[in-house]
Amino acid sequence: MNILALEFPPISHLFQWPDILFDGTWYALNKTSLIYLTAVVITSAIFLSAGRKKTSLVPVGVQHVAEAGVNFIEESVVMETIGPEGKKYMPFLTTMFFFILFSNIFEVIPGIQFPANSRMAIPITLALVVWLIYNFVGIRSQGLFGYFKNSLFPPGVPKALYLIVTPIELVSTFVVRPFSLAIRLWANMVAGHLLLVTFAILTAALWDATYVGAVAPFAMLVLMTGFEILVSVLQAFIFTILTAVYIGGSLHPAH
Amino acid sequence: MVASLVSLMSIVAFAGPASAAGESVGSCVAEKFEQSLEGYGDGDHISHEDLHEVAKDKKVQEKLEGCLDAPSPILPELTEIIWGGSAFLILLVIMVKKGFPAVKGAMDARSERIRADLDAAEQAKTDAQAVQSDYEAQLADAKTESARIIEEARVTADQLRADLSTQAESSIAEMREKAAADVEAQKAQAIADLRAEVAGIALGAAERVVQSNLDAEAQTRLIDAYIDEVTGSNG
Repeated sequence: MNILALEFPPISHLFQWPDILFDGTWYALNKTSLIYLTAVVITSAIFLSAGRKKTSLVPVGVQHVAEAGVNFIEESVVMETIGPEGKKYMPFLTTMFFFILFSNIFEVIPGIQFPANSRMAIPITLALVVWLIYNFVGIRSQGLFGYFKNSLFPPGVPKALYLIVTPIELVSTFVVRPFSLAIRLWANMVAGHLLLVTFAILTAALWDATYVGAVAPFAMLVLMTGFEILVSVLQAFIFTILTAVYIGGSLHPAH
Repeated sequence: MVASLVSLMSIVAFAGPASAAGESVGSCVAEKFEQSLEGYGDGDHISHEDLHEVAKDKKVQEKLEGCLDAPSPILPELTEIIWGGSAFLILLVIMVKKGFPAVKGAMDARSERIRADLDAAEQAKTDAQAVQSDYEAQLADAKTESARIIEEARVTADQLRADLSTQAESSIAEMREKAAADVEAQKAQAIADLRAEVAGIALGAAERVVQSNLDAEAQTRLIDAYIDEVTGSNG
């Protein structure tokens, strides 16, 4: 029996996981779904544990992780893209960042080695949620007419250019955005997973054939594992900051 | 919380890939081939001919090739959307209600505490500077006062010295005058005494020498003239 992700499934099944519980039902549970649940447990554990601790002057452990995360979202995401009025979106953005990060990072956790966001479920779900939110924010802050007018006819653009700009903005803002957001995350995680699998298979195959030949792919595997940690964090950050940029754009049409 | 995390991690780790849970390509091929054999043979035994016939059947081959097909990786699976979406929703509720406010509150409390400490330190510094200024002012006053006292003492001493000097000089002059007066008085007394004595001696001598008839008045006149002569010659 193949446990702990030590054997390679067929290439066509690299991202396909069997149901573990409730097989065949609409609520069937597989490894991807379990990673999502694990991300919930880890994030909740960090934040609830950090929140329960007595505040020390120098935060350590989970308190440091949680506070660094919140500070990062506040300084590098919200203040950079929305401004002070964006602080009310911080719980949502922080949740999104940590949820995506922990769903991604399982790509390099030994024994699990699968990024849950290499499945389209969460990237597209979150992207659609983001689409709803920024459109709702835009309509609420600028009014229905004002929002569509500012989105489709950006202020400051020469009127003749609206012939080109308006269709582009229509497609880009209201149609492409959620898909580009989802596919960016999904494709990065798929590519990362494929790279790691490729070098792992190469290492195993060359180890069986010639021990020395496995050195180069193994070195690449180590290198790519480090790189994928960076990608996991970076993609969580990019998804979050783009969400903030879209919300900021809905709040400030002039920008 | 830690126990639930460990158990969840264990389940995730043991949820092997497709090939591990009876859904591998091999098991799929075996299962579908077995299904394709239904209706052949006598139920327990299948002849080689039947096997060859089934293996060469195009429909069976297509069915077996279907085992290599995988769902499109880009299409999301409903079960994963349900579990993933619910997981995110649950996390969002936990974070909005408890997690985020607790951490942000702790951060704000710390910032407030640090700000208050800094304010207190600033206040203490201001107070210390005020006290220092007071001390410095007092020190400057004390220095000025001491300088004034020293100057006053110096002036007083000078005055005293001048007074004493004047007084001493005047005493000396007085004493000198007194001494001179005493000398003059004693000198006059001595002269008078000497004159009287000389007069007595001269009178006696003259009486004895001349035994003349000079009266007393003429004698006295002569004697005084003599004495004056003597005094004038002695200076």
